[in-house]
Amino acid sequence: MNAAAEVSGLATGDLLADARAKAEFLQVRDADPAADDAALRRLALWATRYTPTASPLCRDLWNEANGADGFFLDIAGAAHLFGGEEKLLADLATKLQKNFGLPARLAVADTPGAAWALSRFHKTPAFVLPSGQEAAALAPLPIAALRLAPDTRATLRRLGFKTVGSLLDKPRAPFAARFPTELLRRVDQALGRIDEPLVPIVAPPVYHSLRYLIEPIFTHDAIIAHANRLMATLIHVLTRDDVGARGLRLCLYNVDGAVETIDIGLTLPTRSVAHVARLIELKLEALAATYDAGFGFEAIGLAVTCAEPMPARQTELTSVTDDGDRTERCASLIDALRQRLGPNSVRRFEPVASHLPERAEMLPPLDGEAPAWPEPEQRPRPLLLLPHAEPAEDVTALVPDGPPRRFSWRGVTYDITGAQGPERIGAEWWRHPLPTLPRKRGREREGATRDYYLVEDASGHRFWLFREGLYGRETTQAQWFVHGLFA
Amino acid sequence: MTLANRTWANKTGPTALTVARNRAAVMAELRRLMPGMGEERKALPFGLGTIDSHLPDGGLTCGALHEVVPQAESCIAAAFGFIAAILGRLTCPLVFVMPAHGLRPYRPHGRLHGHGLNALGLDPGHLILVETAHRKETLWAMEEAVRSAAPAAVVGVIDTLDLKLSQRLHLAATEAGLPLFLLRPAPPSPPSPASGGRWGGGSAAATRWRIGTAKAARDRFGLVTQPRWHLQLERCRNGRPGEWLVEYDHVAHRFSLAAALADFSRARGAGEESIKQAS
Repeated sequence: MNAAAEVSGLATGDLLADARAKAEFLQVRDADPAADDAALRRLALWATRYTPTASPLCRDLWNEANGADGFFLDIAGAAHLFGGEEKLLADLATKLQKNFGLPARLAVADTPGAAWALSRFHKTPAFVLPSGQEAAALAPLPIAALRLAPDTRATLRRLGFKTVGSLLDKPRAPFAARFPTELLRRVDQALGRIDEPLVPIVAPPVYHSLRYLIEPIFTHDAIIAHANRLMATLIHVLTRDDVGARGLRLCLYNVDGAVETIDIGLTLPTRSVAHVARLIELKLEALAATYDAGFGFEAIGLAVTCAEPMPARQTELTSVTDDGDRTERCASLIDALRQRLGPNSVRRFEPVASHLPERAEMLPPLDGEAPAWPEPEQRPRPLLLLPHAEPAEDVTALVPDGPPRRFSWRGVTYDITGAQGPERIGAEWWRHPLPTLPRKRGREREGATRDYYLVEDASGHRFWLFREGLYGRETTQAQWFVHGLFA
Repeated sequence: MTLANRTWANKTGPTALTVARNRAAVMAELRRLMPGMGEERKALPFGLGTIDSHLPDGGLTCGALHEVVPQAESCIAAAFGFIAAILGRLTCPLVFVMPAHGLRPYRPHGRLHGHGLNALGLDPGHLILVETAHRKETLWAMEEAVRSAAPAAVVGVIDTLDLKLSQRLHLAATEAGLPLFLLRPAPPSPPSPASGGRWGGGSAAATRWRIGTAKAARDRFGLVTQPRWHLQLERCRNGRPGEWLVEYDHVAHRFSLAAALADFSRARGAGEESIKQAS
């Protein structure tokens, strides 16, 4: 409830008719928790301009029990950038009021628990608690300041505990015996006796650099120029720590409070300004259709989200091989391709231990070292593999389980002059317990044995055909499929 | 400008000495203006004198664009095989740029199979496969890959190519010193004598290969041992076209002329002159 509601005498739990009677201008809307969550999340992202660690009140979600009405900012080490904690709070309050029209209640304390309690129950809207005074500050506050479940709160009230202070000077043992562990945990968290880790909404960066702009910027060129300068400032710290960036996040803070984040993953750690600038440029180009500069960006932040050791490499004076150089160039090429074409567009073949040809390899997005391929097998394998085996029509064979003499595929009939096989490939029974699955028309059946033949027609086209199903045991009418093309 | 001045100045009294000197100066100037003219260029040789002698640098020039065209839709696997065979010897990363929809207007021909590449002697672990959504992305990715000079070779699959585009790609390949192979579909109609035997618009590519299928080499048990292809060097800048039936040994990474009918051109009597020149 905001101040205006309190003035007109409304109270939580009023019936709608009563409320309407008390305040005649009252407008009613259905509650939309999902939209509230999203809005709060956006606001928390906006607030990452003060500190990289913004966290929802509980784990990863805002829920009823938490009040669903705020978030934590971990400003340790960030306050001095704004001239102290008071100034930071004042700045935050002004910005919230000016940009969003939100009257905010803020508090700074050593523990999240104390900050939560003070922001809600202290009389000043922006309060900074000096270090080590949690117990004294919390003592006069009501029990509700401890973030307890409603049941526990009600029991405590019935027992006559009205304020936090009345709880603090009592022996712990009876409370531990009678109440859920929640009570003492919350008390300890508020007083800093046990840790309360905050779960940030975005992974906190390892290195961070932020720049406020006097005039909002709109264009790609301006963004890239500023990102360049930010990267140049980050280079010093990266060099000092002997690391390179493998993950970067560019945050663009819009004037209207929205935040655009652009994540960039790199194949090898880098400290090159030019490389990062190029990746950002490619990403912006790829996003050009979807993103919207709106009223412009008033602040821009570049963070290293993932840093990896990057030992200095000595360039040989008389370099015989340029292998290291080539690896680096390759990595930057892959990065560039990924930014423009999408993260899954650059792939590499990886062998899989399976006899089924369609399962014998994977094409995962390229990452790390090249996988080692085994020596080529003696058995023939086609150069082009059809994603789904296609049925071969009008197959004639001399004997039912012999190689085909003629078949037609995609409307062309091929006379076979040479055949090699069969190579029998059984189904992977540990995957398909049911060999008699209903089949789709024109599709190979999962779980049937296949006999593969390499066949060649008179003009030298080479195909990989298979006959599906064993006569007598699995099928009475075998079907033929084309599965691949040989070079 | 300097060239012109010199020529004008010498116009008044041309002696044998000045003419010779002028010619030397002009040649030097031309050499300077045409990069890569005098210097030795790297090439990927076939290891087969008959074919290499037709090519200007004794093999497929490294810094150049090479077109590979399947003779018909059904020969597409052979065209892929030919490229894989050429690149099999290289141990550095190779970039394959493939549109997700395959080679249009052909029907979907499936995707490259790692074990099949392995069987042709090309280690699939070296291959960086780039999948693109449309033609513009394919072109961009190819140019990006070539200009980075990171891979040992770049292969692109593209549906159409015009002169301007091929010039651009060729220039990029020349600057980076990388071979760029373009696999494109065969044009709809065969070349007519009226157009001088040329087809499908101009192209700046150094070579154009037309790949056809041929019956594979078999051992005495009737098992396929080596694939055979019918290669047609349709055009070759600073070289001579030719036609061969080759087989490829994936273990030794070696091409050899197929035993029975080594040279189609000789059999047809069409290219007899060129063969005499070569030998």
